[in-house]
Amino acid sequence: MLCIDTSSGTSISILRGDEILAEVNEANAMLHAETIGTAIAQALKAAKLKGSDVQAVAVGRGPAPFTGLRVGIAAGAVFAQAVGARLLGVVSLDALAWSALQNPLTLAAVSPSSPLLITADARRSEVYWALYTGLSANGLPKRTDLPAVNKPAVLEEILVDRNTEVVRADVSSAPIATALGRVAQAMLAEGEPIDDVSALYLRAPDAVLPKPHARFGKAEYSKPVIGDQGGNAPQGASSQGGAK
Amino acid sequence: MSDVYVGEIGLRPATEADLGAIMAVEHECFSGDAWSEANMHLELMAHHTFYWVATAQLDEGAERVVAYAGLSKVSGSEQADVQTIAVASKFRGRGLGRRLMNRLIAEARRREATDMFLEVRADNPVAQNLYVSLGFEAIDRRRGYYQPDGVDAIVMRAQLEPINKQPVVLGIESSCDETGVGIVRGTTLLANVISSSMQEHARFGGVVPEIAARAHLEALQPTIHAALAEAGLTFADIDAVAVTNGPGLAGAVMVGVGAAKALAAALDKPIYAVNHLVGHVGVDILERGELQTPTIALLVSGGHTSLLLVNNLLDDVRLLGETIDDAAGEAFDKIARIMGLQYPGGPEIDRVAKNGDPKAVRFPRGLTLPKDMAKHRYDFSFSGLKTAVARHIEVTENTQQAALTDQQTADIAASFREAVVDVLIGKAVAACLDHNVPRLLLGGGVIANARLRQVAAERCAAAGIELRVPAFKLCTDNGAMIAALGAQLMIDGRPASSLNFGVDSTLPVTTVQS
Repeated sequence: MLCIDTSSGTSISILRGDEILAEVNEANAMLHAETIGTAIAQALKAAKLKGSDVQAVAVGRGPAPFTGLRVGIAAGAVFAQAVGARLLGVVSLDALAWSALQNPLTLAAVSPSSPLLITADARRSEVYWALYTGLSANGLPKRTDLPAVNKPAVLEEILVDRNTEVVRADVSSAPIATALGRVAQAMLAEGEPIDDVSALYLRAPDAVLPKPHARFGKAEYSKPVIGDQGGNAPQGASSQGGAK
Repeated sequence: MSDVYVGEIGLRPATEADLGAIMAVEHECFSGDAWSEANMHLELMAHHTFYWVATAQLDEGAERVVAYAGLSKVSGSEQADVQTIAVASKFRGRGLGRRLMNRLIAEARRREATDMFLEVRADNPVAQNLYVSLGFEAIDRRRGYYQPDGVDAIVMRAQLEPINKQPVVLGIESSCDETGVGIVRGTTLLANVISSSMQEHARFGGVVPEIAARAHLEALQPTIHAALAEAGLTFADIDAVAVTNGPGLAGAVMVGVGAAKALAAALDKPIYAVNHLVGHVGVDILERGELQTPTIALLVSGGHTSLLLVNNLLDDVRLLGETIDDAAGEAFDKIARIMGLQYPGGPEIDRVAKNGDPKAVRFPRGLTLPKDMAKHRYDFSFSGLKTAVARHIEVTENTQQAALTDQQTADIAASFREAVVDVLIGKAVAACLDHNVPRLLLGGGVIANARLRQVAAERCAAAGIELRVPAFKLCTDNGAMIAALGAQLMIDGRPASSLNFGVDSTLPVTTVQS
């Protein structure tokens, strides 16, 4: 299984069952397009595999800054298409949660009443976040809800409103492709839906509708419909479906 | 070398007339052990040597040799040798050495060499790194080879792949709002599939980069699938991948680049990162089997308005001018919006202008006054025109205290379109005449405009210029042109791009391959 995540840096891993055959990580979050090709090629070489040996490709769906996120999903989707591998989609925050919950102390501290809070930088002074209540029998992080994006202060208010004391873990800098693969394996073992690889944008595109041009006696330029521009839709722009 | 240089640097084969200029660079670069002029003359004229020069343009139109390189390849031998390579100090650090070396490698491969050798000074790590990145490895050391300094020479060798003359190349284009995937075999078009997000941008009156990038991600897999189906091929048939790495919307380009790199890695095939604008020029090859050069190219779309001088598709493409504000397609979109018409504006203006008089209103022709022509002879500007049209509508309606009549609307649309077309074709024809180039090639989505094609045909015929207008599906952004350019690079023996190339939203036309 080739695992690709570009939610922060560029993280590539190749797994065979429990075995890690290769890991390549580039921490720089501004070099996805530059790094992705060599990182995949290096990982294949280190694992002594050909592309056609890959049977499944797991991609991180974010949520994450869009530009880099898309590079990883595009690469994973087209790689899988080229070699006839199965394409799997994993929420990147789930991989971070999986990593945090490998620490027995963290796992022991987490419960439905005191869930694990995982956050990731969403830029514009906001964070992506999700809550986890533990691991399933198959080792799958149990997420309470869909990921969301908020300002940190707003997130704290939400937690206070819910009367939730959370466990925090700093996993922001960990390379995550291997963890992503572990989550994919757990999802497969659990029979969880895993075929959706659409990017979790959580924000509508920044686009300003043009003002109608003032014209004599006319209300020309039909008013555009702004139905799906509603900000924090949980799945981002729903009309965008995802790479199928 | 205190002269003022303008424009960009091109490569061309050296001629005997370059001897003096080459010797000037030779003396500057190798003061202690320069070749004599007589030896250099013999080198240039020998049947088994192939020399190239890089030339910069001086502002009065003359050109000057700023770098050169030579290859030796005896017919029948499988060995090629780099004779020399030199770049004038003022022109170092801008990739000229790499361009010249790629040219030599290509020449060696075209002449069926299997091994290529060179010597490099042991105290020149910059050059050694360049050669290593081009596939050379150190195989020997010659003590005290460079005299009088007594510096060792490192002998390096590269093993050359034979050229595939009919490569099957899959090209991916994602620089704006079209996801294009094309497949060619050599110069033959096998598939050209385009998925456009144009309708998603319509309500914004222009391309929204984030919407375009999201749409590319959705469209990639199905578009690749459709292209393979159209060509009747499978992934196993693909010899190489080509992809646009600029110029264009960075976030959009990156989607195609990420996909193309993964495809190359998955199939273990070479990748060619190519220039989108040069792709528009090279597409003519798919219709005529070759690109006749030199040619002037006018590329007009919603993102570009560029006038190019193409001496050689792979080595010598020069930007003569471009828009200094809006692209022509953008101007059509904006005027359409002012007139209450739909997006995209080009077809709408064309439709409304059908019954209009192009001479009804004399709108300004941007950058055509003598004072502008001195500095912006081949540049374009459409923002003043846009303001003039808006102002004209406002004044007309206020004066008559009524909205424009249908005839007034038609006249304004026709007059606006005439102003755009007049400037575009006027400057393109002037470029042909100024540079003594009897060919004009059109490209870009705005070429769909019927009036533009008509005026181009009339004025080119009058000036004795041959006009080339590729089929519309090859004019608009597409993957076939990217595949075609990639195939040309392969057939010419150019090394593949390294997998770590980046994306450049303002990639200059001189960088045909990254």
